[in-house]
Amino acid sequence: MIYQSDAHVFDKYADPKYLDRIVDYENVTQMWKNSVKTYPSNVALVDGRQITYTELDEEVSRFRSVLLKKGVTAGDKVGVFAPNSIEFAKAFLAITTLGAVAVLLPPHLPAEAVFGCSTKYGMKALVYHKALEEKVVLVREKSPVKLVSAEETAEEGAPMVEVKGEAPCAVVFTGGTTGKNKGALLSQQAIMRGTKNGCYGVKGVFEQRYFLVLPLTHVFGLIRNLLTSLYTGSTLYICRDNKNMFREIAVFKPTSIILVPALAELALNLSKQFKKNMLGEDLKTIVCGAAAVPPYLIREYKKLGIDLHPGYGLTESANLVSGNPEPMNKPDSVGFLYPGIQCRVVDGELWLKGINMQDCYYGEQEENDAAYSDGWFRTGDLVRFDEDGSLYITGRIKEVIVLSTGEKISPAEVEVKFDALDIVQDCLIYKSEEGGREILVLEVLPRASELAKVQTDDKEKYLRDQINAVNKTLPAFSRVSKIVVRDTDFARSPSMKILRDKNGTDKK
Amino acid sequence: MELTRNEIVQKLNEIVDMALGEIAVTADESSNLTTDLGLNSVGLLYVVIAIEEFFGVRFDDVSFGDFQTVGDVVDYIEKKLKA
Repeated sequence: MIYQSDAHVFDKYADPKYLDRIVDYENVTQMWKNSVKTYPSNVALVDGRQITYTELDEEVSRFRSVLLKKGVTAGDKVGVFAPNSIEFAKAFLAITTLGAVAVLLPPHLPAEAVFGCSTKYGMKALVYHKALEEKVVLVREKSPVKLVSAEETAEEGAPMVEVKGEAPCAVVFTGGTTGKNKGALLSQQAIMRGTKNGCYGVKGVFEQRYFLVLPLTHVFGLIRNLLTSLYTGSTLYICRDNKNMFREIAVFKPTSIILVPALAELALNLSKQFKKNMLGEDLKTIVCGAAAVPPYLIREYKKLGIDLHPGYGLTESANLVSGNPEPMNKPDSVGFLYPGIQCRVVDGELWLKGINMQDCYYGEQEENDAAYSDGWFRTGDLVRFDEDGSLYITGRIKEVIVLSTGEKISPAEVEVKFDALDIVQDCLIYKSEEGGREILVLEVLPRASELAKVQTDDKEKYLRDQINAVNKTLPAFSRVSKIVVRDTDFARSPSMKILRDKNGTDKK
Repeated sequence: MELTRNEIVQKLNEIVDMALGEIAVTADESSNLTTDLGLNSVGLLYVVIAIEEFFGVRFDDVSFGDFQTVGDVVDYIEKKLKA
């Protein structure tokens, strides 16, 4: 069955006076021209200095001149190697409004990998930030790629170029469904559609104060943070060091912030410990994704007057696929599909099509062969829709546990039942063997702040009793037979997802 | 703020408890932040921010990665409080 998203499902959640501003742009040039024309004196970016849309446009225009002088033209690939900064935004806008393709290199890459990428992606030029200069040394010594300092400028500006929506716009790196690093090639229209989708489902979107803590080389930072901010005439505060985020939040007072669940929980715990809202009194909206969002966070932030919206997206889909506009009603759903997204659910797996989707993994034939069926992108995520069209992520195909009885269990689908307990911060289910018998084990990391409120001398017994009560509600074959209460956190990825292959089954 | 080393360690224990979401942890000065206490990157970030908030000190001239043990952190806090 093919599901087609409802083009107007989000209309009722938008502020009516802004609804007609949510429009499609074919390319970054069209979007940027409109933003500069509509919001010329709004502050676009804050990063040590602050810069208006008009001033940023001027700097971008001069940087286009720099790139042209290096021989860059539409269709050429240009690397961007910079930490979160005005220079990153300037380089991205200059490259993409020339119709060239920005290859976004994560700043933690070592010199060898930067050199390797410059060759693999056939870069014409590489724009680098001075803070990373020592890591472009191999490119300087061994490669014909032209190095361009992000600080270079020119006397005169150069005009923007309009390219077709299908033209390639950026290469963004992803671990994807197989874990192997690869570059998703996203078109101009894919990135613009992803940016537009960021305007749906939350009340305050236009002319807001956004706060950036996520990396700009990740689609969630690039599209939902930077580009949606620029699309909407908003101001984006660039926080360079997460250690300083709350001090800077107290001064900047953002109205909207994009977070991964681990950072949202960190901010909540700090707020509780110090009995003040660490995210600032003006914050109205948190958009949360990149990992499963515990319903507990939605409920707790609501008590602070903040709406936390879970969503679902992939690098391959130019970030946003769905968003939950009413998180208090269905806290465990990732919401409705954004307009224009087509999907099929095949054996429980979500397949996607639409102009927001990547063209391919660049130069990865084998990965492309594995990821596509009949032109559909296979996400590897197991999902279901409810009767209202709300989407739920129930697991990953490769994580499915097959029992000796042939029965299959998606661990995430079971874990979410235990995660719904406020006293559970995180949990993990895996198959093990005990006394020659196949069993399911549940490892639990308790949420101390909630457990502390429970009036009992034996908190662990209370935790186990609550878990057992949930366990009894599960179908018999998916019940856990052993509960392990952890006293340390799970091994996690840099984006704070639990690493299933490094936890459980005696690997902790 | 006049605090003894023991009082600083005690407060750090409270902070680490919150950072880890654990039932209770007992760290002493020799406890390694990552291998003994199991603090990951977000946990360490929590500890840094909470220390700054509670003790009113700034980790402005070091990276938290430079600290191995609770004792190293206590040394730094003491030095900052006396400065």
